[in-house]
Amino acid sequence: MTKKMYTTCKLLGLGIKQASLVIAMLIFTLVAHAQNRTVSGKVTDGKGVGLAGASIEVNGTTTKTNTDGSFSVSVPQNAKNMLVSFVGFKSQTVNIGNRNAVSVSLEESSKEEEAVVVTGYTREKKGKFSGANTVVSGKLIETVPVGSFDQVLQGRSPGIVVNSGTGQPGASANVTIRGISSIQGAGAQPLYILDGIPIPAGDFQTLNPNDFESVTVLRDADAAALYGARGGLGVIVITSKRGKSGAPTFTYRTQYGFTQPPTPNRFDMMNTSEALAYEEKLGTMGAAILGPGWIYSKLNPTYASQTPTVQARRDFLLDSFRNNNADYYDMLFRQGVSQSHDLNMQGGNERSRYYTSIGVFDQQGIDLNSRLRRYTGRFNLEQTTGKLSIDFKNTMGYSITNQNEGDWLGNSARNPFQIVWRAKPYENPLDANGNPVFGPSTSAAPKVIGNTIEGIRNSYWQERQMKLNSGLTLTYKLNDQITLRNTSGVDFVNEFGLRSINANSYIGSLQTNNNGYHSENARLRTNLINTSSVAYAKKFGTKHDFGAAAYFEVVKGYNRGLGFFVTNLDRRLTLTGQGAGTIPTGGATAVPQNGSSAKSEYGIVSTFGSLRYTFNDKYTIRGTVRRDGTSRIVNEENKFINTWSAGFVWDALKEKFLEKQNFFTDLKVRVSYGQTPNIGSITTGGYGISGGIYGVTNYLGPQLPTFGTTTGFAGSSITGLVPTTPGNPDLKIEYIEKQNYAIDMEFWKRRARVTVDYYRNMTKDLFVNQPLAGNSGFGGTNLPINAGKMSNRGVELKVDVDVVKTKDWLVTLGVNHSINKNKIEDLGLVNEYIVGTSIIRKGLPYGSHYTIKYLGANPADGRPTWAKQDGSSTLNRAEAFQFADFGTWMADNVGSFSIDASYKRFNVRTLFTYQTGAERYNNVESWTTRGIAGYANAVNQNKKMLTEQWQKPGDVKYYQSPLYDRDFSSADIMNANFMRFRNINLSYTIPQVAVGKTKIFSSTRFYVQGQNLMIWSPWRGLDPEDSNNISLNEFPNPRAIVFGIDVNF
Amino acid sequence: MKKIIILTTTLFVFFTSCKKATESKETDLIAGETALKTVSNCEAAIIGAYASMVPDMDILLNSTFSDEVRTGEFYNAQTTHEWQYSPTDVTIRDQLTAINPLYRIVDRANRVLAALPVAVEESAADAAKKSRLRGEALFLRAYALFDAYRFYGAKYTAATLAMPYPEAPTLQPLARINADAYFSKLYSDINTAKPLLPAALTDRNRAHLVSANGLLARVALYKEDWATAEAEASAFLNALPISNMATYPNVWTDATTGEVAFQVVRTPSVGARLGSIYRATSPNATQLGTVTWQPSSKLWNAYSANDIRFAAFLKDEALLSGASPARPSRIVKKYAGGTYGTATENVANVKLLRASEMLLIRAEARAELNNFTGANGADADINMLRTNRITGYTNMTFASKADAITQILEERFKELVFEGHRFWDLKRKGLGVSRLAADIVNANSQNLSAGNFRFALPIPQPEMNANPNIQQNPGYN
Repeated sequence: MTKKMYTTCKLLGLGIKQASLVIAMLIFTLVAHAQNRTVSGKVTDGKGVGLAGASIEVNGTTTKTNTDGSFSVSVPQNAKNMLVSFVGFKSQTVNIGNRNAVSVSLEESSKEEEAVVVTGYTREKKGKFSGANTVVSGKLIETVPVGSFDQVLQGRSPGIVVNSGTGQPGASANVTIRGISSIQGAGAQPLYILDGIPIPAGDFQTLNPNDFESVTVLRDADAAALYGARGGLGVIVITSKRGKSGAPTFTYRTQYGFTQPPTPNRFDMMNTSEALAYEEKLGTMGAAILGPGWIYSKLNPTYASQTPTVQARRDFLLDSFRNNNADYYDMLFRQGVSQSHDLNMQGGNERSRYYTSIGVFDQQGIDLNSRLRRYTGRFNLEQTTGKLSIDFKNTMGYSITNQNEGDWLGNSARNPFQIVWRAKPYENPLDANGNPVFGPSTSAAPKVIGNTIEGIRNSYWQERQMKLNSGLTLTYKLNDQITLRNTSGVDFVNEFGLRSINANSYIGSLQTNNNGYHSENARLRTNLINTSSVAYAKKFGTKHDFGAAAYFEVVKGYNRGLGFFVTNLDRRLTLTGQGAGTIPTGGATAVPQNGSSAKSEYGIVSTFGSLRYTFNDKYTIRGTVRRDGTSRIVNEENKFINTWSAGFVWDALKEKFLEKQNFFTDLKVRVSYGQTPNIGSITTGGYGISGGIYGVTNYLGPQLPTFGTTTGFAGSSITGLVPTTPGNPDLKIEYIEKQNYAIDMEFWKRRARVTVDYYRNMTKDLFVNQPLAGNSGFGGTNLPINAGKMSNRGVELKVDVDVVKTKDWLVTLGVNHSINKNKIEDLGLVNEYIVGTSIIRKGLPYGSHYTIKYLGANPADGRPTWAKQDGSSTLNRAEAFQFADFGTWMADNVGSFSIDASYKRFNVRTLFTYQTGAERYNNVESWTTRGIAGYANAVNQNKKMLTEQWQKPGDVKYYQSPLYDRDFSSADIMNANFMRFRNINLSYTIPQVAVGKTKIFSSTRFYVQGQNLMIWSPWRGLDPEDSNNISLNEFPNPRAIVFGIDVNF
Repeated sequence: MKKIIILTTTLFVFFTSCKKATESKETDLIAGETALKTVSNCEAAIIGAYASMVPDMDILLNSTFSDEVRTGEFYNAQTTHEWQYSPTDVTIRDQLTAINPLYRIVDRANRVLAALPVAVEESAADAAKKSRLRGEALFLRAYALFDAYRFYGAKYTAATLAMPYPEAPTLQPLARINADAYFSKLYSDINTAKPLLPAALTDRNRAHLVSANGLLARVALYKEDWATAEAEASAFLNALPISNMATYPNVWTDATTGEVAFQVVRTPSVGARLGSIYRATSPNATQLGTVTWQPSSKLWNAYSANDIRFAAFLKDEALLSGASPARPSRIVKKYAGGTYGTATENVANVKLLRASEMLLIRAEARAELNNFTGANGADADINMLRTNRITGYTNMTFASKADAITQILEERFKELVFEGHRFWDLKRKGLGVSRLAADIVNANSQNLSAGNFRFALPIPQPEMNANPNIQQNPGYN
């Protein structure tokens, strides 16, 4: 101020005398500052409802509004402006002039303008937060008819790939934030935090997403800094709803609708006449066809020599097959019913606020035995007593998941998702009474559909899950600067699984001891967290805003599981092990145990500190230093890891030279760097539990030598004990160096909002498989060691534009697009190694397919041709070279676009999601276009085999002669790009229903919502979207359409 | 308010005491130290070490690389039989990569040695068992490492490269060490093991003092430490003399163990069928399995008419000569096991250390020490052996050291054939392989020159990739 005054004086050309006068005036001003006046009024939302706890800031002093939104503030005489802010609303600067009464109506902020970033530990002002994050409003998650909320995140945030591997209601998606950053831990999921408490990933069916206020995706080192070694793969922070003070308000939501199977014609399988003709054709070419199309064919060389009776019998059988053309798609799948009911109540006063809810969700999947039923309750309470505030958040839920046992089995002829394309169309699955025709199945008399249906009717797979998530945060404000806080939380999951096969059934007769099978498993998983912190915050003068915090945290996880299975069940009973008979020993003196249990636990201890300094609201520097230790590392020297991160934000519009511009309404530059280890990527093992429904994680197994038995030495009656895996005693935690550069922009009067992030992540100490030297005793095997590097770099773009914004109309277009390039940079001693059908090779991205290159049928004789190493063609399978140039199954471009439009009370929201650059093995294609006897006998073949398979010399065809196998090859790798009409929500809101002056409902919203309505993809199969590299028996994501009503009263 | 502060503090202190959170153990896992917790566990682990023994590889190599056999009805081992192998040789990779199973024995033995000092004794007998197990572990380590040397090492000189000698479990890639250091470790392990091992020959499937004597005699023979070889062979023979004419054939039908001090028991379900090295099992009693290797004419013609070993080891099978078309009928009978087409066909125990070998070792040692004739001379040993093998044998005397050595080697060829000695005997004596013209496939397969680098197998390429410290044998780079 002094400098400013001096400058002013100079400008005015004033001398010392005059300067003295100015000083005198200044003193007067300062005195005048000291004289206060009172301004009172009310802060309301757009509907005139008072907002309790809103902040009124005048010249650096903050006051909160009362329960009804009213306030009374003492302000300096000359105060001109006050800043009014409230979570979930746009802050407003109000010119108070000389007024003593001011009423402020705050506008609700839309999702993009959320002023606060919830990191789970802190609530940061967006303008001072340098981390890369996206807040997904609860509004976009609630009411979507999907049993697991993570699936709803698809397309809602840049930088996150959400791929659903199954349409089973309640199943979780596979979520990847900014690319795969570990080889050993490639499937590791981000850290999920619910109200500060870690919850197991992939296990959300017992949580009610309608209780979620928001979901924040933390993507870079700075944003996830406070999670340290737990959050190396990014963090998804869920915040449940908080009560709003005021009189109790109620919201009732309900929806009813359907789930439907995707259109079946994407497979393009042969119909009955085609299948029979194809079998005949292959038979005449010399393939060993066993199906009726050939064995009963008149062209079959054995036909002519038969007696007329036998010939007539064959003709009759062939004819009866010819007349079957069952629509078994409809027999295996259904239109499921999806419904839900939710009731919540919230309210409170200035000292306490509560939110409580109950919910019921019931969805049948398209698979006949698939269903999720969920019952949830929540109670959130916030209480302030003087300097102490208590935040108590609780949810409890119970869910029942039913799954088709055949689907659970996976690659099985009892899996309807296999039978749907595999079964021959000429099978007659049901008898006249609608009962399945079952029994031993042969190619000549197939009963695969009948057996599948009989299996569906006589098997049972169910999981009951009880979940409790409860957290208590005590905050004690020692004074204006220092805050003490402790959070204790527990996430508790109790699961009970049951798998049962009816003794009195055909499939029951196929089980060991021929009388059904029954297994039950139970598992208990507990996560505990306790975080203590002390935070200091102070503004020095008007320009220096400083904050610092120190934390101590302990996380513990416990697992316990048990299980058994019984056979030889009592035929009078179902779904029970009671009455099960004895089991024969088969002459053995010892029989294996059919029951087992296991337990395991781990712990993480973290100490960390953070600093923030903001200069003049213009520059913010943030930093975190931490030390994480975990029991999940055996080697004492590697148990602890020290890391740091830093971030910087520049609020450009605060610069003088940009003061005059009126194009931008916001312009920020963010930069961050940090190292984040990831405990979740540490390889784990598993304890097998009898019954096989659940396993129990074994955290240290891969780091310890494990032992097995051998009976390979006949010279002793003692069973030998041998080390089976060497264990890596030197294992360290992988860590990722993350850089992030970003710009946040708003222009066109905030109608256009753009965020661009560029990142470079480098995983160091990457676990790679290294061959072991012979002298280790494990020659010829591999050991995962910390020797590699892997990079992910990419660009993320998020754009939202209010293209039309009038009194009645609001049309917003949104685009999310993310590009991620993954590359294996270093593998230590080796340059590559093979993992299944993929190769891990230096220079290639993770998940690169590795197989022989099929070139087509040799025109002369129909033999398959493959590429040799030099690219030339060969007929010799042994010379076929394995190539790695078929791409990777991880999409490199993912995104979404949305159009949201509202006109008065009508609102429509749409979401389209897409991915490109994904190549997957289509194993269904491999089975249905294999074109040789072995496959043609067991699997219905694709229609194109009628026209595109080599039949006679000179044919130039892609598919080889039925007499030769082309093997599992590049012919089966298929582009899995897709664009999906992911979601649409059409709604109409009635603002208020009143009878006379008595308000009945404050507002009611009617909507119809569709999920997965359409898909466009070159992929042949029900659903290109999946969580892995290969497709064989996938439960496709269903289409869902629901009608819903939300009533507020 | 105070209450709340106390509560907060209590909570803080309570959870701070969770510092032990970084020490959570894997309580349900049989791994690491838990696996070898008791003496019984260690004994089971020693049995696991025995289970990794691969004497079949010694036998296959010494037969097919040498002049013991000629090709039979199926021949896909050109690269090894005709000495064309490189570090990436497929036959070696599939059938003769000895480095992995042998070091598996070493690792298993080393784990027991590491666990024994703290192993829990559950019964009074466990203290004694502990020392026996230590002896067995040392014996097995020496046994496996000596075998590794025979596969990958050249003829002994103090400076020649032996192999890595791990004395504790390690995942670190180790370098090869010189033969003198290697052999002194072998000596030390066996000598330390001797007093710990049982003296009585009650269990010939596991190591005991006599087998330790035998192993050391053999090691000393390769080191050309004749005095030790003679002494240890004598100790062996004093405890277990050679089988006589009547017993000897029964040794090869496994009717008796006879002169065998250490063997690997084979059953139809446990372990490979030893006889299948030379002839595949038969579909039935009259239709014989494929003859993969026939005895060489050199061997066939080496035995005198009264030599009982011919009938014990070889057979001219009428079922083969009489087949239409006729099949090669000379077959190896030494490991024929039970009748053709039965469950025990080709099942035979592997005789690892037996008295006749010791007699031959002693004879060779004595000859090399210039005691080729006289009361304690080489010819006495050879006469004793022949007397028990050849009907109507009359004693002879060696005319010179050279005569003795030549005849002893010839006697080893006849006595120890198909037991994994021939190729390595030629190597250690600095001789070449020379096959008869009648026994060869083509000119390539007739001779391997004396001292040829291929007498030591190449370190396999995967091992070269995995172990940056290991040195390839000369000639293979």
